[in-house]
Amino acid sequence: MTSTNDAPAEDVESTETNYEPWLFQTMLDELSVSELGIGFVYSVLDLLAERYKLKDVVVSLTHESFGTQLFRLGGKAVSADLASRIGTAPGVYCDPDIVPSFERDAVRTACQLSLSLHLARFWAGHDSLTNLANRRTFDVALDDACSRSARYGWAFTLVMIDLDGFKAINDNLGHATGDDLLRQFGLAMRRSVRSGDIVARFGGDEFAVILSNADGHEAAGFTDRLRCNLGPAAELVGFTIGTATSPRESTDPKEVFRRADERLREKKGKDR
Amino acid sequence: MMSPTEEDFELELRSLPGVLNVEIRHRENGDVDAVTLIVHGQDPADIRVMAKQIVSLYFAEASVVVEDASNTLAPRESQAIRVALVGATFNPENGSCQVELNYAGRIGLGNAGSGQLFGGAEATLGALRDLGFNVPFYLLSVVNVATARGWPVIVSLRPFSEGADLFGIAQSEGDVTSSAMATLNALNRFLSMSPSEA
Repeated sequence: MTSTNDAPAEDVESTETNYEPWLFQTMLDELSVSELGIGFVYSVLDLLAERYKLKDVVVSLTHESFGTQLFRLGGKAVSADLASRIGTAPGVYCDPDIVPSFERDAVRTACQLSLSLHLARFWAGHDSLTNLANRRTFDVALDDACSRSARYGWAFTLVMIDLDGFKAINDNLGHATGDDLLRQFGLAMRRSVRSGDIVARFGGDEFAVILSNADGHEAAGFTDRLRCNLGPAAELVGFTIGTATSPRESTDPKEVFRRADERLREKKGKDR
Repeated sequence: MMSPTEEDFELELRSLPGVLNVEIRHRENGDVDAVTLIVHGQDPADIRVMAKQIVSLYFAEASVVVEDASNTLAPRESQAIRVALVGATFNPENGSCQVELNYAGRIGLGNAGSGQLFGGAEATLGALRDLGFNVPFYLLSVVNVATARGWPVIVSLRPFSEGADLFGIAQSEGDVTSSAMATLNALNRFLSMSPSEA
């Protein structure tokens, strides 16, 4: 992004000489932990562009699990050509280049914080291998589902899933293959549910799904779709399921979980 | 504001290896129409397959475009080598500090005799110069501050010519190590350049 020799607007000059942390204050006013995320990064870029009448802004951020990330005004793509001009060093790149350094630093810090918090929030509730919900998120979702079931009679089905012979895959084909298989299985599960259903990985090769508005029969449809969506991975691994339905069987989360898990263990025992 | 779903969608795309930038284009009715990814240092075809899998989970009809920035971007990031602190020691008998840094397998040593705080920072600058870095800053101040969780050290550096002061902060098991780490922290961006560039 090129700098220009255009004379900056009068208020911009005064901001440069008299420190008025308007943008930082505006950001602080807008800061809310629940809203911090990628959307907040774009909001900050909007604020900066509006204040300085910028044609374009790109902020370059880094995160240890993410590498370099570029965010451009309006969520537009940073073309390969533009990326080559701004490079990958952390910073805020403005067109025209008239924004004081303290404002750029404040913007970068706020954006970095926002991205880091979004990632922290995301990974606190998700499994890092499959991007599925983790046990913590699942437990909260099961409690919520049971509460709604008890209060309003809304039905749901809990499906517990255990992969068959996964240990042998890890032992014979290596953990990289095993991890790839888990990712593929996670994707297939996400493809097989409707929006509003919760898909979680408990750890290892155990998964669970909360099928909302389902009274038991939908589990068969789900497993059919899952087999279909597994594709080539189905040749490597099979799976066993156990189900329980609320409110028909119970509205206590522990009891619903126990029943589904017990049926899963029974089937696994029979299959052995 | 983006919806939480769209934020997580973009986050998932950005977590794919080598993805630098994401653009999500919408139709007039708000549905996602197309997703463009700019990638660096990865095979665009592989990334496209992975991206399509993710996109299909959220917006089944959206198309996916992957642009490769590998040829136009400097390989700095993928080849980034950091200056690492190997050790920082303080000799209480003569009040001297020694700092040892590692850069790309080479060791740089710096010594200074002005106590743990200033000495740690001065020795770090000396070790950087020993590694071949032309560090155009001088030490302005080194202070440790009391906090509920210990005594972090703050180092400020001023450029020889025009430019903003640099500040770094670090806390470790001792003042000399904290001081060395804070100096490196202050010089973080400067040190992302190779010694020849710096």
